[in-house]
Amino acid sequence: MSAHITDLSAVRRHVSEAQGLPNPHYVDPAVFEEEKHAVLFSSWAGLGVTADVPEAGDAVPITFLGIPLLIVRDKNETVRVFQNICRHRGMMLVEEPRKIEGAIRCPYHSWCYGTDGRLVSTPHVGGPGQNTHESIDRNLLGLIEVRSHIWRDVIWINIDGKALPFEEENAELIKRWAEFDKPLFHGGADSKFQLKVNCNWKLAVENYCESYHLPWVHPGLNSYSRLEDHYHIEEPDLFSGQGTLVYRQLKGADGQVFEDFEGVGAKWNEAAEYISVYPNVLLGVHRDHAFAIVLIPDAQGQTTENIHLYYATPETDDAMRAANTEQWKLVFEEDIFVVEGMQKGRHAQDFDGGRFSAVMDSPTHCFHAWVAGKIENQRAQAHAAE
Amino acid sequence: MSTLDAQLLAAHEVDDRPALVRLYQDAAQMSFDENAAGFYLTHAYIFALELGHADTPALHAKLKAMGRES
Repeated sequence: MSAHITDLSAVRRHVSEAQGLPNPHYVDPAVFEEEKHAVLFSSWAGLGVTADVPEAGDAVPITFLGIPLLIVRDKNETVRVFQNICRHRGMMLVEEPRKIEGAIRCPYHSWCYGTDGRLVSTPHVGGPGQNTHESIDRNLLGLIEVRSHIWRDVIWINIDGKALPFEEENAELIKRWAEFDKPLFHGGADSKFQLKVNCNWKLAVENYCESYHLPWVHPGLNSYSRLEDHYHIEEPDLFSGQGTLVYRQLKGADGQVFEDFEGVGAKWNEAAEYISVYPNVLLGVHRDHAFAIVLIPDAQGQTTENIHLYYATPETDDAMRAANTEQWKLVFEEDIFVVEGMQKGRHAQDFDGGRFSAVMDSPTHCFHAWVAGKIENQRAQAHAAE
Repeated sequence: MSTLDAQLLAAHEVDDRPALVRLYQDAAQMSFDENAAGFYLTHAYIFALELGHADTPALHAKLKAMGRES
């Protein structure tokens, strides 16, 4: 059925001849469903950050593309992701973020799980007061764990379990940012915020990829970081984004700055990079701070952006940290009208996916081509299976 | 058992789980029948397990000794 929804033949052409993804990739629930499997379940998608579960026993439920998931920091400090359901009757286990003091008890029949997912008790399963039964092998009935990996504090998940190991899949990017492979300290409550935007998740990625819009949409940013100070980052089928050569550190009231990440080279004195890690994580690195934006696709036209800021040291100046959050919040809020405007535009029947600037839009086209490739790959597999 | 019943209901009403651990152990102790005791101890154990309560290991050992837990 899905094999006939859209024609993607023009998307993977050279950027100078390509068309963008057709409208249904933004507005059609059937295509959203197809992309869910082909693009988001098959790759390493961002779900949250470990700072969401700072202490052992912390548990945060999150619905990702309709799947109820549970992020837990277990008693040994390992952050895991489970399907948020009891293996008995499929009951939701945890409805609100909370601390698991001992075990996760299902509110229905009280089957209990350790924070590491082991099934530890099955009360009355063999009759009143008889908590074992030969047909219930607890070793086979632990919580269903989702394949996950932590990098740059982001919790990445591979729902279908078939992607290459995270470090292999993202080897190029890990190598590119090796200098930033240092401890990251989340700035805390004042260093995270959430934006709810009425657009398909891909539009947020696409907008983040390119610097072309900066002088028009972010005039404040452009006053010191001009268009010509930016460069494209493109690794076909891996990631894309932009870099700047004129990053200026935020200064406090007495001229103080945030501490640099230890050992970050002179190359980064005035440089910074912003990369879309396909499919749904937007990362930024600077000599003295970093951020991660995890995009949660809520529906074909709705996305939640969870933004987190990080520093090189556990303690930072309160006022400076707040100013930095405010500065980035302003920038990201300035982008809302364009991603929402493009979403509305995708209902124009004769829009053909759009023509790219061969010079300025290649990082965005790089993402389109990756999405199209993932979908075509799944369609080919489905066709072969038939 | 009527006072204990009332205390159990009150503890359930306000979701006082530490109290439930204690009261279900009391109920087990007051039972003359091993099946009833096993039932109450199971409830005490499950609430203790959920809370990470100090009584958890002892309750587990008791149920295991009774052949009611693995």
